[in-house]
Amino acid sequence: MEITPQIREELLEVLYHEAELLDGRRLDEWLALLTEDAAYRMPIRLTRERSRTDDHSTEMQFFWDDRTSLALRVQRLKTEFAWAEDPPSRTRHFISNVRVRPAGGDEVEVRSCVLIYRNRGEATDFDLISGERQDVWRRTDGAWRLARRVFIVDQATLGTRNLAIFV
Amino acid sequence: MASLEITDQRGDRQEAADRLRAVRPDRGEVPAFIFADPDVYRLELERIFTRCWLFVAHESEIPSPGDYVTRSMGEHPVIVARDEDGAIRVLLNVCRHRGMRICRVDLGNTSHFRCPYHGFTYKNTGELIGVPFERELYGDALVKERLGLIRARVESYAGLVFATWDEQAEPLQQYLGPVTWYLDLLAGRAEMEAVGPPHRYEVATNWKLPAENFAADAYHTMHTHASIAEIGLTPTVTWAKDGYHVCAGNGHGVMIGAPTRRFIFAEDLIPEFERHLSPAQMAVLRQMAHMPGTVFPNFSFLISAVTLNGRFVSHTELMLWQPKGPDRIDACSWFLVEKRAPAWWKELSRQAFVVTFGPSGMLSQDDSENFTQIARNARGPVAGRLALNYEMGLGRTPMRDFPGPGQVYEGKYNEANARAFYARWLELMRDGDPRPDA
Repeated sequence: MEITPQIREELLEVLYHEAELLDGRRLDEWLALLTEDAAYRMPIRLTRERSRTDDHSTEMQFFWDDRTSLALRVQRLKTEFAWAEDPPSRTRHFISNVRVRPAGGDEVEVRSCVLIYRNRGEATDFDLISGERQDVWRRTDGAWRLARRVFIVDQATLGTRNLAIFV
Repeated sequence: MASLEITDQRGDRQEAADRLRAVRPDRGEVPAFIFADPDVYRLELERIFTRCWLFVAHESEIPSPGDYVTRSMGEHPVIVARDEDGAIRVLLNVCRHRGMRICRVDLGNTSHFRCPYHGFTYKNTGELIGVPFERELYGDALVKERLGLIRARVESYAGLVFATWDEQAEPLQQYLGPVTWYLDLLAGRAEMEAVGPPHRYEVATNWKLPAENFAADAYHTMHTHASIAEIGLTPTVTWAKDGYHVCAGNGHGVMIGAPTRRFIFAEDLIPEFERHLSPAQMAVLRQMAHMPGTVFPNFSFLISAVTLNGRFVSHTELMLWQPKGPDRIDACSWFLVEKRAPAWWKELSRQAFVVTFGPSGMLSQDDSENFTQIARNARGPVAGRLALNYEMGLGRTPMRDFPGPGQVYEGKYNEANARAFYARWLELMRDGDPRPDA
């Protein structure tokens, strides 16, 4: 698929829309953005020598999810017992540096930089989760759906108490 | 100025030691201040984290000569390395010349470490082998034999590598005592391997809260983790109620969920389990529904089983609550799996680990919320003096016919292991106080 300005524009819109769904806790709508075979990963980042390019682990990840397990997470958050996010965090997903490349067939590779702000309770301090999304978006029935997300986090020790939110 | 600081510190310590009188695990009372107090924490670093055997790695993380990982013991950075003869060394990651950190990465393979500051070079046994311009600058004066990296004592049990700074410490097996029987079930039932590096995330809590939870607290699962039953990962909300509460000596605690509706491990591995375990251990393994536990002070573990994507699977994990201050830890969690388990089992088990534990885990998420808020609440003088209640199961009689060692109580809901954890903690914190008549 050739990356036209229109396709690029569509994908920017879908990324912003996704951020709005996540920050607005419209998680059922967010799930509907994912393809049935979606893969959702967040590798552990490692501190290694500069000469090593493999600075993240593919063997162990912070998220190792598919559509089914993500749906379980969303279902859990809706129970009365999901204390980690009830009351919920205030989050803001900032998306920038978006790069769109062809990935074959109906798919495009979309890389973007993400900064997630998270604040809880009465505290004035907050967590920042910075990373790069390495996404594959697929056009099905005229709409863009997320088929794959690998979130490369910019911390070897995660600076947030849990990942009860999505990246 | 220096002497004043020492005097002040001694005064603080004495005061902290005095306040420890309010810690009465024998009566089921633990005051909240021990989860937030900086003086208590400083005393813990000295009296607990320099004396106890501390978990540092699983042997499979460093299989070959030269392999190393960097870890912490208390707040001290260490290198855990396999030397050229295959022995595991635990070295203080601090150059003997100016105190610079010698190794600044998470893992790798090398036969020697070179300090970035002046280039002092050490073998992975800790021996100092190179000092730039040594002859010209020091002549024959430098006694390199005395300037090796500080070595911790290292011993392993069932592939679990522990180290201690205390030369006088009892051997590891003796320190572990009855808990070895249960560590066999955890990590010695087959040849096990750690897959990938550990999860590592910072939680604003005190290290004792998660340690106590895994040693003793099956009771919380019913409410904290009620969502897990609601979404069908476990059959009932009281899934962790039945079984055994095992006081495993020296502050160690284990809980065994039992009976199970079905065998929670890979059936194909039964012959290997039978080779590694005694018939009595095998009988417990067959009944096991899950098994959390803590080796004092800050090493926890878990075998847990869930139904994920329509398939029933268990996973095994190791956890370390690495202290970084009175109200801060690095939580680390490793996934362990039987080396000869079928490929589909390994994959599903790993996914079950990530989805239920670790920072994104649907169970550990809610735990981290509890641990954070308790530590925050323990700060003020009023809440700090509050005697938190640990009375559950006081005076209950242990079973006589359980096949494993330790004091074993029927039913997992009990707080005996928490009382034993704080009794051991208190004993170590008190040891070294000046006697009143001295």
